[in-house]
Amino acid sequence: MSSIGWQAAAVASRMLPVAEREAVLGDLIEAGESSGAALLGVLGLVARRQAEAWMDWRPWLALAGLTFPLGMLLTLVSRRTAEFSAIYLWLYVNNWTPAFIENPSFRHDLVSIVATLILECLTLACWSWTAGFALGFLSSGAIPVNGILFSLVAALVEVLGAPKYLAIVPLFSRGRDFGPNAAVFSLTFYRVLFPLLIQAALVLLPSVSGMRHGVRLAALPVSPRAIVPTAAIATLAAIGLQTWIFGLRTLGLPRPPLLDAWPNQLLKAVIFGWPIVYCAASALSRRKSIHLKENHA
Amino acid sequence: MLGEFEYLMLSAAARLGDVAYGAAIRQEIEETAGRKCSIGALYTTLDRLESKGFIKTWMGEATPQRGGRPKRMVRVTAKGAQAARDFYGAVTRVSRGVSWETNRGMVRP
Repeated sequence: MSSIGWQAAAVASRMLPVAEREAVLGDLIEAGESSGAALLGVLGLVARRQAEAWMDWRPWLALAGLTFPLGMLLTLVSRRTAEFSAIYLWLYVNNWTPAFIENPSFRHDLVSIVATLILECLTLACWSWTAGFALGFLSSGAIPVNGILFSLVAALVEVLGAPKYLAIVPLFSRGRDFGPNAAVFSLTFYRVLFPLLIQAALVLLPSVSGMRHGVRLAALPVSPRAIVPTAAIATLAAIGLQTWIFGLRTLGLPRPPLLDAWPNQLLKAVIFGWPIVYCAASALSRRKSIHLKENHA
Repeated sequence: MLGEFEYLMLSAAARLGDVAYGAAIRQEIEETAGRKCSIGALYTTLDRLESKGFIKTWMGEATPQRGGRPKRMVRVTAKGAQAARDFYGAVTRVSRGVSWETNRGMVRP
């Protein structure tokens, strides 16, 4: 199991369920297969499993309804978050002065901006987690393909600079206006690297975690599981609504009267932050069940 | 009605008895039927047979020659044995009087 081929086979086998993965690798070792044959064997099984999974309608729904639209949307939101954060990071990190703390007005601004930044980042991470969760729940066995496609859409949109191409859409055109903040975006770090870091930390990592939870929940045969995907779908609808409202505001158009009562930033974060509560509850429940098993043993 | 490969797998598992598991079934098919059996074909067919209720599988012991990994053990159920019997009967009946059945000695292996 030490050659590169075997390592590749072990990595490819991670796309199989745990029990099957172990049995398959064990069979290949026992049969004395070469590393190349083992890799081909595992890839063949993964391809067959994927073909089976894609016979169902749900992965297709996830692909059309979640993978592409959410991959693009989250990348664009991530780009906006990165640009917004970059301006204040530059201000407070690159141009730090004790006056920011000593002066009561500056201190107030600092606290308020840091809180807003944390809230923005947390909200984006929770949206990404929710998108990954819904994708994992709907795709189930097809998650390797849908997950890779989602990550590719997110990465390609960011790397190829799709926000620039999408500047023809008024909603996304203003975020690229670097004019007033040219000092910030003249730095390569804030213009190129920082958006990628935000994308990796607040979109890719949370969405992969969400996918894992979604797949795990889809495998449970209990009825309460319907509540969680419902919450995920409601959140995704809220993300769409939020983006739409933001688009109206960007265009300087009035919001529809019904949406005037749209909750404030903190309440929105609480609503969108249900993944944190879910993850905490899930971790506690797993810990409790391990503890019970240990006591039983 | 079983497929040809399903029948081969049921027969191999039945022949192996208590020691029927993935690698052993694969080796048995390759040796007796003289055809290559990929790990992908093996595991997807095992799943299909299990979903039809023709076999029962469970995770067995882990051995050092498997790198400490468990085996997927297989047992043919009564329903599976009946399906294999029906398939064998149909193949036997449909083969009666055909050239390769009447001149079996002339057929190359």
